[in-house]
Amino acid sequence: MTQLNGNGLALADAYYSAYGSRARELKAEGRKVIGYLSALAPVEIMTAAGLVPLRLKGYPEEPITRADVHMETIVCPFVRNVFDAVLKGKYDFLDGMVLPHQCDSMDRTNDVWSYTLKLPYWHFLNVPHLSDGPSVEFMLSILRLFVGSLEKLTGNRVGNELIALAVKAHNENRRLMRRLYDLRKTNPPLISGEEMTKVQVGAMSLPVLESSSLIEAVIHEVVQRKPPHGNGGKRIMIVGDQVDTAAIAHTIEGAGAWLVMDDISIGAKLCRSEIDTTPDPLQGLAEHYLRHVNLPTTYVAAGKTYGENTDARFGHLKQDIHDFKVDGVVLLINKYCDPYGFEVPAIKAYIESAGASVLYLEYEYANSTLPRLETRIGAFLEMIS
Amino acid sequence: MEEKKPRALATQSAAKIPKFVRSNLSATLKAREEGKKVAYAFIMDGHDEIMRAMDIVPAWGESFSGLCAAKRDAEQYLQKAESENFSRSLCTYATCNLGFDILREEMGGETPPGAPWGGMGRPDMIIGSAQQLCDPRFKWPQATRHYLPDVPVFVGGMYYPPWDPQTDRREVEKFYVKYITEELRECVRFCEKVTGKKMDWDRLEAAVDLADRTWDLFDETYALRKARPTPMDTGDAMNTMVPITFNLGTQEAYDFYKELNAELREKVEKKEGVAEEEKYRLVWGAGLPSWFALGDFQYFNGKGAVFPAETTYHVAQPIDRLDLPNTSDPLEHIAWRLIRYYTHWYDKARQKPGSAPLVERIMEYVDDYKCDGVVFHSAFSCRSWHAGIILQAEVLRKVYGHIPILIMEGDIVDISSYNEADTHNRIDAFIETLEAYKNSRN
Repeated sequence: MTQLNGNGLALADAYYSAYGSRARELKAEGRKVIGYLSALAPVEIMTAAGLVPLRLKGYPEEPITRADVHMETIVCPFVRNVFDAVLKGKYDFLDGMVLPHQCDSMDRTNDVWSYTLKLPYWHFLNVPHLSDGPSVEFMLSILRLFVGSLEKLTGNRVGNELIALAVKAHNENRRLMRRLYDLRKTNPPLISGEEMTKVQVGAMSLPVLESSSLIEAVIHEVVQRKPPHGNGGKRIMIVGDQVDTAAIAHTIEGAGAWLVMDDISIGAKLCRSEIDTTPDPLQGLAEHYLRHVNLPTTYVAAGKTYGENTDARFGHLKQDIHDFKVDGVVLLINKYCDPYGFEVPAIKAYIESAGASVLYLEYEYANSTLPRLETRIGAFLEMIS
Repeated sequence: MEEKKPRALATQSAAKIPKFVRSNLSATLKAREEGKKVAYAFIMDGHDEIMRAMDIVPAWGESFSGLCAAKRDAEQYLQKAESENFSRSLCTYATCNLGFDILREEMGGETPPGAPWGGMGRPDMIIGSAQQLCDPRFKWPQATRHYLPDVPVFVGGMYYPPWDPQTDRREVEKFYVKYITEELRECVRFCEKVTGKKMDWDRLEAAVDLADRTWDLFDETYALRKARPTPMDTGDAMNTMVPITFNLGTQEAYDFYKELNAELREKVEKKEGVAEEEKYRLVWGAGLPSWFALGDFQYFNGKGAVFPAETTYHVAQPIDRLDLPNTSDPLEHIAWRLIRYYTHWYDKARQKPGSAPLVERIMEYVDDYKCDGVVFHSAFSCRSWHAGIILQAEVLRKVYGHIPILIMEGDIVDISSYNEADTHNRIDAFIETLEAYKNSRN
């Protein structure tokens, strides 16, 4: 195992730069590595099965050169980019993959991934979009199928005790990440947005205990920094899905603002709440992934009025805007994304009602488009100054 | 706005379809004075018979947007939606409708002037569906409610087991059926609440039975297209799908296919075909058509190419083939029918490593309808039908060797993505490939 030497940020940077390097090491040691997409993959079950779960990221700094032969360009650019990365051999150590049903781009390309990659293990996790009682029951059956398929893969039983232990470890990971988020509340924040992205990305590439050690080391390092002086930079929050490149934070912070908070699927969406301890741990997992991972791909029916409904969907953003003293929100929505795209007017209006300004950007998950975004972000910051 | 000359039709029955569409639209406009409730509804989500049994008037957004596109009058609505920050890359069925809704709200509920065929009525409820068919089915209702906040929304869960060559579908179908049945029951409760009326379960049972018989009749009728020359092609099928897609569970739909059946039988007997000389037979492999360019089917016909079969809107299978378990619960019956519509292809696909259900279906049509090639349409704003086409083409080539395949590109509603000259050039080149392929086989 790579040793933590107290320099958590440097290690996070290393894991960010050589993404998946630790999983590759573990594979060389004889462990099985399972790649997965999306915040909806119940990573706890993979941990319980003794596997090394690796959330796959794309490489927006590279153009897509291999994927277009197999996958249509109308598919979400993030999904295409990750698929391209796998085809290029960046994840050539995977024993298998889990593809949760997050959206059409994942559902309708399931065949394309499995047929083209021909990995030894493949599982499409049919996560429903609803969070009502029947959907939780359905999700339980889906999770049981998943457990069964992993038992077949490993040859070992994945019992409730193992799952409960994994849930505990991942909950601790969430707690630590929230502690780190709290260090962004100062003005300026103790940890920059660019550093934070590298920690988020580095942490998601590690087995849970190592991930927690990394976050702890970062916290230890960051709290020892001198309280910063405010420089008048605007405090920005980013909202979107898998924003896994530090180039975005770099662009925002390079324009003179601070990225102080996020609602993205490798960040706050993952750690806002913990999984309840339930007699059948799968019950807690089913409820968590359907009711507490706040993605627009889950249809929320709460509230008698439309106002109550939007509070249920976006209320956490209002809280964050208040707690992190957010001036402006960058809504970074992937092109061709129906679930996020259809929410733009509603979420924009909601955030504005909370007193923050909103910049909506359609994102093609490609760094080549950053100069264009930089101009828009610069104009936005000028506008809210 | 440019008026496009209507496409010539091969069957008299297809010529009656505009009446169906008009009637569906006007029902939504007259509903209030008739004391009925209007529901925004979505095709293929299993709610048809529930709405019909409860006298709820469905307002089909996809149909209305298709109509706007066919009339080449969608742009103003697309632009309106775009001005509200709905990206142009989203489902244009949805954004066209949203643009229409936003305009109507801005006009105090009045239908925007010049709306095709009088527009669509304001809904009393929205019945969406979170299912594998497409994301807009549950996000579009939510987006609409942003502009129509007083309108209650129900979204039900509707899943089918994903294709997995390692798994026997029978191991998982039951819990899927249980889930769908419970969600359909939730839908009934929602409809009862909004309409203030109780479900008449006998009436529902009758509607389900009528829908089953319509499925059978539809399939039997479409199978008549196997004849050479084919009496009807996909160009007409994009119209004759209206009754089964938007009027399922009604006597009108059943009667329509009776008439179509009789007409096709007569044409087969007289050997009346779609093209003057039928040279090439093609399967429309996947993809919604460009509703503003249905004339392209005629362009194919003019080259002697006909489409006796298509997967798009072939939304029914013979009930016997689905081997549905017996149940006295009409909702459970709907659930089984919906699931088996997808999964009954799985067994065939499992027998051939490397195959997939969607490709099995196309291959069945290639073989049974004696086709020479496959045409797909890739619509940029819709991932649901249009992602995975490249793979389907790849598998087809593996099975059939050099079978000619054309992937056309465009959209369903947004004409800005379409170039007629370029499309026709690509069709011309494809016809040459077809000719060479046929010669090589002879």
